[in-house]
Amino acid sequence: MAEVSPLGNPPLPPPRLERGIVGWVRANLFATRFSGALTVASTLVFGAAAIFGINWMLFNADWSVIATLGGQMVIGQYNTEAACPGQNCFWRPQASLLMVTGILGMAWGVAGGGLPKRIGIGVAVVLAAFALLPYSFERMGMDVRLLLAANIPALGIGWAVARYTPLGTSPRIALSAVVVFAVTLLLLRGIPGIPGLQPVSVLNWGGLTLNLLLAVGGIAFSFPIGIALALGRRSHLPVVKLLCVVFIEVFRGVPLITLLFMSQVLVPLAFPENFPQNSLFRAAIIITLFSSAYMAENIRGGLQALHPGQAEAARALGLPSWQTTLLISLPQAIRNVIPAIVGQFIALFKDTSLVYIIGMLDVVEISRAFIQGNPEYLVSTKELFLFLGLVFWVFTYGMSYVSRRVEENMGVGRR
Amino acid sequence: MKLPNLTYKGVPVWRHAQVLQWTAQIVSGILVVVLVTWFFANIANAIHDRNIPFGFGFLSREYQTPIGWHLLPYESSDTFLYAFLVAVTNTLFVSLVGVVLATLLGTFIGVARLSGNWIVSKVALVYIEFFRNVPLLVQLFFWFYIVLALPPVREGYVLVDRLYLNNAGLSIPWLAVSSAGSALVWIGLVIAAIVAGLLVHRWLVLREIRIGSAPDPLLVGAATFFVIGAVGWIVIAFSSGTAPFTISIPSPQGAFGRISDGFTMSGGLMALMIGLVMYTASFIAEIVRAGIQSVSRGQIEAARALGLSNARTLRQVTLPQAMKVIIPPLISQFLNLTKNSSLAGAIGFSDLTNVAKTMTQTAPAVSIFLLIMAAYLAMSLTYSLIGNLYNRRINVGRR
Repeated sequence: MAEVSPLGNPPLPPPRLERGIVGWVRANLFATRFSGALTVASTLVFGAAAIFGINWMLFNADWSVIATLGGQMVIGQYNTEAACPGQNCFWRPQASLLMVTGILGMAWGVAGGGLPKRIGIGVAVVLAAFALLPYSFERMGMDVRLLLAANIPALGIGWAVARYTPLGTSPRIALSAVVVFAVTLLLLRGIPGIPGLQPVSVLNWGGLTLNLLLAVGGIAFSFPIGIALALGRRSHLPVVKLLCVVFIEVFRGVPLITLLFMSQVLVPLAFPENFPQNSLFRAAIIITLFSSAYMAENIRGGLQALHPGQAEAARALGLPSWQTTLLISLPQAIRNVIPAIVGQFIALFKDTSLVYIIGMLDVVEISRAFIQGNPEYLVSTKELFLFLGLVFWVFTYGMSYVSRRVEENMGVGRR
Repeated sequence: MKLPNLTYKGVPVWRHAQVLQWTAQIVSGILVVVLVTWFFANIANAIHDRNIPFGFGFLSREYQTPIGWHLLPYESSDTFLYAFLVAVTNTLFVSLVGVVLATLLGTFIGVARLSGNWIVSKVALVYIEFFRNVPLLVQLFFWFYIVLALPPVREGYVLVDRLYLNNAGLSIPWLAVSSAGSALVWIGLVIAAIVAGLLVHRWLVLREIRIGSAPDPLLVGAATFFVIGAVGWIVIAFSSGTAPFTISIPSPQGAFGRISDGFTMSGGLMALMIGLVMYTASFIAEIVRAGIQSVSRGQIEAARALGLSNARTLRQVTLPQAMKVIIPPLISQFLNLTKNSSLAGAIGFSDLTNVAKTMTQTAPAVSIFLLIMAAYLAMSLTYSLIGNLYNRRINVGRR
């Protein structure tokens, strides 16, 4: 039915100046005199800055330092003669990467498209593109290139496995991801006595691989520990509550770098002399505990915001208290604080750069050490750290993008 | 065989909630106590068997190590205790200045993010998304090398003959105490002026509520403060012959052109300040944006309908309501900034963690850790206390 105004005439279209590009410019750039002045001023300032920046990036900056560091940024000192004597160990992290791509392929296969598909294809294509880097064959062998290019078939294999085998359900993929993480650790560490898998000390792990491993491990463990701490802090049992409060407040009150430093000097004393331990393992535990203290506070926020009627209704329906917590309170609480939780994941990933304090060569520290050891590259430091910033940004922004999509899919704010 | 029927208040003990809860509590309590005792026993054994030094006697010994940058006067012959205090002051200085600058920048960017102007809003968005998502350590290294790339002292930049910028840092004009007595008296007067200004403001607000009209409380309160401060300054200057403070202007000295006088921020401090402020401002901007957006439009429309001006709407309607949402996360950002300043060691600034780390080479590490933990916990508990007091105040009239 056509719209009819009370007078019987069809309604007039909106004025020309409120529609189209002209209308958009008027509304968003020149709405008021002040806004117009802001537009002119900011165009001049940021335009000049953008021209300067692009000019510098294309013509003045010397990006060769990044090519020189190359694979060291990814795996640190892992493939050096000292860490991996008499053999090429580069294939081990690459094999782990193939497994990760395979998992992404499985996720795509189960979801049948959408976000997993886009992420999987993006990751596989970017990795395969690395195979075409213009290095000489002495620096980047054919084996390395082929293993990188194999990420695209790995994606496909993962997809097919999810489609045509019983592995293709979400819980089984989650289980496979855990298995892949464990296999990755085993592969990087090596198994004594097996040729080609000679042990590599964890202290030689490094580069972005180390940051990612610490982040994945930290996220996987700090989430359940954080939930337990949050529930403990809200518990009405005084002893449990006290323990959780003390733990959370101590870990939140002291900087991570101080805790890491302490883990190097004080924690070894707290165990008997022959207790098996190493500095990376201690650091990983400290990072996880630190993160779980923050995670606990985020989840507690979500639990507090929950209407008490939810739990009361569950109890009225006869659910025991553990089911009320696990099936009613926690899912809603976590859904409400997804941005805060993902923010904590991002913070944890950023914090992995602090392992320099225990002498590990993560991607930031190996870059800094390289500059320090090669003063001729001192002038390229800003290019190097700008690049590092971008590398971290790609991962962290990716995480916040995924979290926003997950929130949309869960219908946060609509239900 | 039938199990003996143990009951508590008529319910079998293994199903009675109270019994189970108390058992769980006692067991977990004992477990934790045993674990902690085991750790401490091991540490005590290590101290004893491996001859690891412990104790606080070192605090009165001479530290004998230079501290790169210090706010308080410091000599290598000063004691460990005083050196520790110097380091704490450095961290507090970075924390306080950083908090003020980050709040200003963050508020500005948060408001820019909400601007109706598309360009301004998008530039603020890019700023937030970039600085928030890159590790602070990477940012600090970036700024540090930018500062290192500045020209050496003799060829450094000189701005308006007053500001000296070079790879040794930034020197700015600063207040110099001419006589300690009159400076203290004037500072006392300024504190009194702040109290008087607040009282006048409060009195005028109450008066406005009672009789419906009054001079602008904020304006009159601020005027009270400035008048008392200025009159005090003049009276002290005339009665003692010197002004309480003079302005010390930096100037190059000697053959190497070292900058003396004024106030010099070292290169490390400068990089730390820029990095911390820009990083924290990106978080504060999001907090400010969320706070302002949390005030419903109806509130502002109602204020306009009552005839309040734009400025008064912002000050008396929008901000007080937005503050409730802004302040708690803002304070936790202040705390984060303080804790993040411990990254200073990576770029060679002597903050608390960095100095303490150096101290462990000549003093018992275990004791020093206890001191750092105590110092940081004291700082964070102070911030939490302020936050909790504020929360309690604003939640009194909660609807």
